[in-house]
Amino acid sequence: MKRRDFLVSAAIGAAGMARAQRAQAPNPAAVPDTIKTLRPMTAGIQPISAGERQDRIEKARRLMRDNQLGAIVMESGSSMFYFTGVRRPADDRLFALVLPAKGEPAWIVPAVTPQIPPGNADVRAYVAGADDPYASLAGALRDRGAGSGRVGIEERVRFAVFDGLRHASPSHEFVSADPVTVGCRVIKSPAELALMQRANDITIAAYQAAFATLHEGMTQAELRGTIAAAYQALGVRGEAMVSFGKYTAFPHGSIEEQTLKEGDLVLVDDGCTVEGYQSDITRTRIFGHPTQRQKDVWALERKAQDAALAAAKPGATCESVDAAARKVITDAGFGPGYKVPGLPHRTGHGIGLDGHEWTYLVKGNQTRLQPGMCFSDEPMIAIYGEFGIRLEDCMYITESGARTFSKQSPAIDQPFG
Amino acid sequence: MPQTTESRQRITQLQDALRKSGLQAVVLEPGPAMVYLTGVRWGKSERTFAVVVPAKGEPTWVLPGFEEMRARELIHAGDDIRVWQEDESPYERIVAALHDRGIASGRVAIDDAARFFVFDGIRKLAPHLDYVSATPVLKATGISSQ
Repeated sequence: MKRRDFLVSAAIGAAGMARAQRAQAPNPAAVPDTIKTLRPMTAGIQPISAGERQDRIEKARRLMRDNQLGAIVMESGSSMFYFTGVRRPADDRLFALVLPAKGEPAWIVPAVTPQIPPGNADVRAYVAGADDPYASLAGALRDRGAGSGRVGIEERVRFAVFDGLRHASPSHEFVSADPVTVGCRVIKSPAELALMQRANDITIAAYQAAFATLHEGMTQAELRGTIAAAYQALGVRGEAMVSFGKYTAFPHGSIEEQTLKEGDLVLVDDGCTVEGYQSDITRTRIFGHPTQRQKDVWALERKAQDAALAAAKPGATCESVDAAARKVITDAGFGPGYKVPGLPHRTGHGIGLDGHEWTYLVKGNQTRLQPGMCFSDEPMIAIYGEFGIRLEDCMYITESGARTFSKQSPAIDQPFG
Repeated sequence: MPQTTESRQRITQLQDALRKSGLQAVVLEPGPAMVYLTGVRWGKSERTFAVVVPAKGEPTWVLPGFEEMRARELIHAGDDIRVWQEDESPYERIVAALHDRGIASGRVAIDDAARFFVFDGIRKLAPHLDYVSATPVLKATGISSQ
């Protein structure tokens, strides 16, 4: 489960937002010694090569032909970064890429652009307010032999952009580009897996250092700040959602201020970014001595997580992995289905350049697992009013089954394997 | 963040503008327009969270089932809240909401900040509707949608 998107603009109110911002800019004086001794874990990181990006574009072209698409269109975002390595901060002005089935990509960008697309690319600059960027976009499609017929639109393209393009080029049929973008992104290469492995290793190191600072009276904001400081010391950007006690039951946490006390469960979730690739790890551990009830539910959660891991073999459907984890939880009397107390959401999500991406471990998804797919494995147990347990490790599918990037938590008082 | 009465006034103003423009409804994703009209701030994720404001009648909220408690704390504009579970389609809920407000044909406005997949999900289930940009009608109500 990823809180990161929610922290940006979610329903956490002004006070929660201020806390989140403080958490991201830790006060150096308040940084504990265990964090100060951390050193960057970024040595030897291998960015995705130009050759690999070219291979991705070739695969996309093949998928376009298979799906009768003349081209796909995307705005700045994870798909553009995936194919080109270009990422531009959010900006209302159109910054678009046409990736055609035949011929070279074309860029439509504002005339004054700080980050020019690489090499001798076909860049069509427009003056905002004077030129029509959608006419340029339609022109680029025409120039690549995709002047009519089906064109794929990347899933996160804004409606305004689609609307501008369809008015500039009414003869096109605009459909989802998912068969192409997801078709490429859903299978990770060894280079991608290596970057994700690093992101996971760094998250474990950050959590280990931060858990060493747990103390009675600690606020969730303090722990969040400590984890953010740990990431900074480890050389990456990352953050965490933190819940204590009964608030651990809420999948996305709570805006209520929480203070740590003996016997509380501590839930920490989220991850960091390495070369754009995401980690996402949750640990739920006891602070002090656990009750039998906490131990029992924790053990059940671990059993459910194990069941999903065991079920995640190549050829299995995504929904069967969800069903395997859910069965463990419902057999113990929770649920059924999404009912609480129980597992209120799907078992996992795809992960890569986006913290949540295609495809999902959810009922109804009959997509079959293939080597190279990556998922979170996080079938939480939420008991509102009491507590929640979520153990989340991300896994990648190999010919012989699923492997986790991080070692699973062995016990309620041992978050790290 | 608008108070309940202020929010109600803004929605009424939007509904007047919808009728004047010959629009049946507007569909908003989380973003500036949703905040301005309803006070609801929500992070966009792959799980569709939307409000449908019809030209006539109450707004309908469509949101993920397991977020209902968190969402209800924030939603004061309208109490027609329809959840979708993880294996269900949010677009069925949105299209049903349009249907329940008597919208079977004509033009429906889509938030400019809405993502293509949300529009595409609605369009597939209701191909007979004509989807247009919400920018003019939002501007008429004093909202910049981006």
